[in-house]
Amino acid sequence: MTRLIEVPTQFDDRSFDQFAAAYSQVSDGAGERLLFDAHAAEWASPYGLVGLLAAGEAAARKGERPLLTAPANPDVVSYWTRAGFFREAADLFEVHGKVPKAKVAAESDVLLPVTPVRAAEDVHAVVSTIQQRASAILNSELGLDPKATMGFAMALSESCQNIVEHAGTGGWVAVQAYNWRRKLARRVVVIAVADAGVGFRHSLESTQAKRFGERWGDAAALEAALVQGVSRFRDPGRGQGLAGIRRYLARWEGKVAIRSGTARIAIVPSWDDDVPLKDGLPAFPGSQVLLIIPEQVSEKGPSKK
Amino acid sequence: MVSAVLQQSVAGFYTDLVTRPTGRAVRENIERDLPPGTIAVMDFTGVGCLDYSCADEIVAKLVRDKVKVLLLRGLTDGHREAIEPVLSGAGLAVLCERADGVLEGLGASEPAPALLDELVERRLAARIPGEGGSIRLTAA
Repeated sequence: MTRLIEVPTQFDDRSFDQFAAAYSQVSDGAGERLLFDAHAAEWASPYGLVGLLAAGEAAARKGERPLLTAPANPDVVSYWTRAGFFREAADLFEVHGKVPKAKVAAESDVLLPVTPVRAAEDVHAVVSTIQQRASAILNSELGLDPKATMGFAMALSESCQNIVEHAGTGGWVAVQAYNWRRKLARRVVVIAVADAGVGFRHSLESTQAKRFGERWGDAAALEAALVQGVSRFRDPGRGQGLAGIRRYLARWEGKVAIRSGTARIAIVPSWDDDVPLKDGLPAFPGSQVLLIIPEQVSEKGPSKK
Repeated sequence: MVSAVLQQSVAGFYTDLVTRPTGRAVRENIERDLPPGTIAVMDFTGVGCLDYSCADEIVAKLVRDKVKVLLLRGLTDGHREAIEPVLSGAGLAVLCERADGVLEGLGASEPAPALLDELVERRLAARIPGEGGSIRLTAA
């Protein structure tokens, strides 16, 4: 029997819980094949795209290779192709629908197409690529100080390393710049990282569960990692990565949100109205990280495009 | 030169010091020729991005476990941004040589003066009269 999971028409961090709910309802059935239905998709953020790949990997691990119906809208499917989604999806899903053979974007707002992260070498390649491509957009379009490019690469590196060091499996990263009409009416750069690995709770359980006692769970694990900077390693220098990401984002009024298991934590800047900590969400495997860096606004208004 | 050690330590040509495995490989390469309790100089010229994990794995661990004084050269603002919080958080400090040759502490403020004193005592550095007590390396 094939079970259907609808991909939201507007697939981003806000609609992700709807997707996770659909996934968690059907993913327990042993021996059942999953069909991810994206035919009605109109738009997907980098977070949506890497999250869909994580779901595909988790589903493939449980049983038969899942099915994926590609978006029916040619513009949407073309964008997903340019964003590098189908290059990765081909290994995980049996893809149905017309997928153009367009190349992954070389010059566009796709600063880093959907890219697999499995080992330290992949992080090196990601950091090298992003420094070449992000500098112009960060400086001229987002109005960030040229020095911010290095911090951006550091934040990206640390986000990807969470997969290598903690997930116990591979994952994906994507970076994109776009106009964010929904919240800000400004340009933003978004980093999205997702894996279908063990998640924060499992990663930290052996060292932190006792300390939290009955409070221990996905939310407590996220709080320990992001707010308290703890790590599963006893090495005193560990836990630097997320702390560094927080510092960088605080400096540029950015946002970080991490979803793992049934919880989601966010450091919420003044321009956003997100909830700092949510628990009891639909279960979803691994961890999904979202970083948003907005265009800087001077007294004269947003920087020139 | 740290960038040269990086090339020896990892497969592929990279100029960025990122990830813990890379940092570990670079530090182990450096440690191999370094007697404990020594005064060491590391030149970061040619290094692109340095992330927090690598800063901890290389700089903080060398200071914590291996060297008496660590002097850093060729640092960019980006490198400092990674190294400073990592050292401060651990109560550690290094010295760095600015482009104008003046030595200054980086990291936790408490241990830095003793590091400068150590170099002056060993006559590896000297206070320059008329420069408000600034310290530079001596020709020796």
